Amino acid sequence: MSTIRTPRGFGNWWVRKGRLNASHALLIALACTTLLPFTWMVLASFKPLNEVQQLNPIPSRWQQENYTEVLNSKDISFKKYYFNSIFVAGWVTLLCCLTSSMAGYAFARIRWPGRDHVFKLYLGTMMIPGVVMMIPNYTLMVKLHLLDSYVGLIVPAAFTAFGTFLLRQFMLTIPSSLDEAATMDGASHWRIYWDVILPLARPGLIVLAIFTFMGNYGSFFWPLILIKSEHLRTLPIGMLYFDTMYGKQTNLIMAASVMNIVPLIIVFIILQKYLVAGIQLGAVKG
Amino acid sequence: MKYIFLGAFGVMALLSGVAWLWQLDGVEDGRTELVWISDDNPVRREQVELFNKLYPQYRLRLDPLNAGMEKTIVQCLAGVGPDLFACYFGFQRMAFVRSGVALNVADAWAERGMDLDAVWPCTLPLFVHDGRPYGHPGNAYAPAVWYNKTLFEEAGIPYPTPDWTWDDLIAIGKQLTIRGERGRPRQLGLIMARADWPSVFLAQWGGRMYTPEGTRCILDSPEAIAGLQFCLDLMHKHHLMPNLHEEATIATAGGWGGEVGLSPITLFGAGRAAMAIGGRWWLCALRAEDYGGLRLGAVTLPHGLYDRLFGWGRATLVNANAKNLEGALCFLEYLHGPDWNLLINRQADSLGPVMRYHYGEYEEAFLYNPEHPEEDYNAVWRAALEQAEPMEVSPYVNGVTVDRILMREETDKVWSDLKTAEEALRDATRIINEAIVEQLRRDPVLRKRYYEDLARGARPAWDREEDAP
Amino acid sequence: MNSKRLTTVTALCFLLPNFLGFCTFTLGPVVFSLGASFTNWNLMKTVPLRWVGFANYVKLVHEPKFWLYFVNTAYLMLGMPIAIAGSLFLAVLLSQKLRGVIVYRTLFYLPSFTAGVALLILWKALYNPSYGPINTLLGWFFDGVGLSGAELPEWLTSTKNLLALGYERVEIVANQLGLGARDAIIIMGIWTAVGGGNMLLYLAGISNIPQDLYEAADIDGASVWAKFRHVTWPQLAPTTFFIVIMSFIGGLQGGFEQARVMTLGGPAGTTTTLSYYIYIKAFEEFQIGYASSIAWVLFILVFSVTMLNWRFGSRYVNY
Repeated sequence: MSTIRTPRGFGNWWVRKGRLNASHALLIALACTTLLPFTWMVLASFKPLNEVQQLNPIPSRWQQENYTEVLNSKDISFKKYYFNSIFVAGWVTLLCCLTSSMAGYAFARIRWPGRDHVFKLYLGTMMIPGVVMMIPNYTLMVKLHLLDSYVGLIVPAAFTAFGTFLLRQFMLTIPSSLDEAATMDGASHWRIYWDVILPLARPGLIVLAIFTFMGNYGSFFWPLILIKSEHLRTLPIGMLYFDTMYGKQTNLIMAASVMNIVPLIIVFIILQKYLVAGIQLGAVKG
Repeated sequence: MKYIFLGAFGVMALLSGVAWLWQLDGVEDGRTELVWISDDNPVRREQVELFNKLYPQYRLRLDPLNAGMEKTIVQCLAGVGPDLFACYFGFQRMAFVRSGVALNVADAWAERGMDLDAVWPCTLPLFVHDGRPYGHPGNAYAPAVWYNKTLFEEAGIPYPTPDWTWDDLIAIGKQLTIRGERGRPRQLGLIMARADWPSVFLAQWGGRMYTPEGTRCILDSPEAIAGLQFCLDLMHKHHLMPNLHEEATIATAGGWGGEVGLSPITLFGAGRAAMAIGGRWWLCALRAEDYGGLRLGAVTLPHGLYDRLFGWGRATLVNANAKNLEGALCFLEYLHGPDWNLLINRQADSLGPVMRYHYGEYEEAFLYNPEHPEEDYNAVWRAALEQAEPMEVSPYVNGVTVDRILMREETDKVWSDLKTAEEALRDATRIINEAIVEQLRRDPVLRKRYYEDLARGARPAWDREEDAP
Repeated sequence: MNSKRLTTVTALCFLLPNFLGFCTFTLGPVVFSLGASFTNWNLMKTVPLRWVGFANYVKLVHEPKFWLYFVNTAYLMLGMPIAIAGSLFLAVLLSQKLRGVIVYRTLFYLPSFTAGVALLILWKALYNPSYGPINTLLGWFFDGVGLSGAELPEWLTSTKNLLALGYERVEIVANQLGLGARDAIIIMGIWTAVGGGNMLLYLAGISNIPQDLYEAADIDGASVWAKFRHVTWPQLAPTTFFIVIMSFIGGLQGGFEQARVMTLGGPAGTTTTLSYYIYIKAFEEFQIGYASSIAWVLFILVFSVTMLNWRFGSRYVNY
């Protein structure tokens, strides 16, 4: 007979309930701590400037003009920055998904000499810190006179090894019996790619699209060094300059930050399922 | 699946069209566009408009957001550079010329009858290289002392007179420094932009940055150390000037947002300091309505051991790969002429670059501005410029890293009380001289010229023979 | 054309767009930067281009700043264990049969997902030494416990830190003990990372633990803590190992955004990490050769950690 026995039956349920309540309490406390900075940000964005450093939870006056002032600022055009971020991220995602899925197909489904060696090359470059490649890419843009252009923002970011890797792994899980059936019907590789593999690889493509888009939307280093004109700025760079110019007006800065973050929150709530799946997918296979 | 991709492609193509159209938003009026990179002082707008009025075939556009010497150079090399760009220091001019980005405009000067003797001498290092001009100065600046008349009257102290000494300034400053609880300052006797310390303290104590030929950095001379030490004494011994933390605390809430490290202009304008060492260009900010009720006076600096100052300014250089060379040269002509100079003097963007517009037939317009009759001190600024010497740069220094970063880094440690003046200046001098030797090792042409200078009696940058390149 | 040749050509057609981009923007630059690191290339052309061999590497080893920045990078990784432990704790809490787990998970993941310039600017405002809420609250707390005279930490403007490291050379200096810029960044980093991807990975890991292990522990009468120590923790070892390696790799390359947005390298260079140093050298001073050599040193460091993963990772995964 063991010396310590966990109570069973009713007693067990009671202990578990107590533990669950304690867990709830703890989780609520932790969630509040996590949300505290966000709450401060939202409140500060509605306050007049002199109230920002007082910690009154309710502003004496809900100053929505902060938001309109930020949006209508003559030196910083947020609407353009939103557009630029979405535009650049959209092109990068489209190009990345297209080329990565084609390359993934070549690695997963076609046998050609040197295939595995080239793939090892792809894998190898994935562990190189990004900054090593930013420097030569920048000098290339300088030489090609592509500094400060949309093309310069989009093209270098559209070709990553990660996309090919992810889609190859995904395509490998698709049973090859479907391929064989299609080949027997006389389909070429091109047809198989479009009509058989790609629809089945849709979940992988969605994950890649979401990750590429979100990654590029928040990309900071590359636009920082490449862009000089105000009308080409993306959102992170715009926020940086906004802080530089209006830094003393904390309430405006917080309003801008809120406008930055809210779209992300909305996207996250909608696409949660895919994101969680994607992280676990990337980690397990990696 | 195919349709999803095609659909996405269509959407992106549409957005590309939108992006292209959005980019064409600029006004198309048949004028050639000129791009000028400079800072965003609010008076620039009028300066740009006047040019556009006088030269209707051009449309000058100010681009304040890409200022920065290195960025300007690389952008010029990448073909996305401006037509005109600003240069604030001698070492910047060196970098611009050496990288091939600045254009030699000696011929343009000669054609338009412009002469180097016509501009204030302290601006020469900013745009002249090897005796040839690469642009034109935009203004000239030498420091003097601003004082807040209201604070003086409240304390019952008479205004400073032009023949006052540093002891007078210290005595006045001590009376005007008010401290609150825990010794925190509520009102300061004197403030200044710390980075400007050479123009006053290095000059008046007889120090120099380099030997006359530029062969050695002599910031570790006893004169230089004494000058910097005096500035430090004003902070730590007489407690007239705030140290870094005090400066941050003195910023009030309710309007300033409490940012750390406010500029001296805002502090002075808020009435937190009785006196300030600064330039006439402070008026560009201080004339604004936020500072209504501020009553200012100005007086030349007290005499130190020597009656000299280092002056600076802002020059505009021409991009060698400018898209519109003709237009850029017209801008230089504009800078030399009466319209620009009188405008600068009226706007108080320091003083106009060409000397003659402050004397003779133009003197009255300069001394008395009907829009601002209370500004009775313009003669003070002219007197300061008359004393100002140019702050030279050694041709043997790759100024890019050395002057700015090293000078500022070492003196930053002094302001934060982490090093003494002597230690900091000795370290800075050593590093700069080592950089000179490094530069000589790499560049044989420069080395040859250096040894020629040495043969004429200049001091070398090394102390021991074995360190020679 | 024979079938094999046709297959290869087809494969090339599929591969080409991505491969071309890969060579131009990934592979080529890697080789190019290695070559550049052996020259004195300065993009502004103020110095003639020359091959200098290992001179850049020698210079950076002797440069005291490099070691300072290396120490900065390592210091910023000190928050890693706390963040990982926090993620594990949250994952254990959330893996119980609670109502509203999805809500909690969303809330905890929020800082990680919205991470970016906006959040950095928010924290910069929070850390304002005179007017930020953190110091205001700390001030109230000190007043409340009767320590009104205590000095509030200066956060992002102070060179102090919890290990009393100096900022001139790598050394311990007594008066540098306190809470300063680096600690501020660590605290912010912990807030962002706890509840992020690591928590999700742990959640997945925990859900993969077979229930009968727990039931066996129950039968033996194990307490909650004992169950954690003997069942959960060992089962999560591969996940933990993966997380630690990834955090290391991320930490070595990190600190750039914080430095650029919040402190511009920090008071007296204390928040300059290796990646920020590379940025300054490459994109503000345009000394391409020297910056490439620093980048390659960083790469070698990251590579060593990845090698650790390859060698020892399989040992854990096959547990």
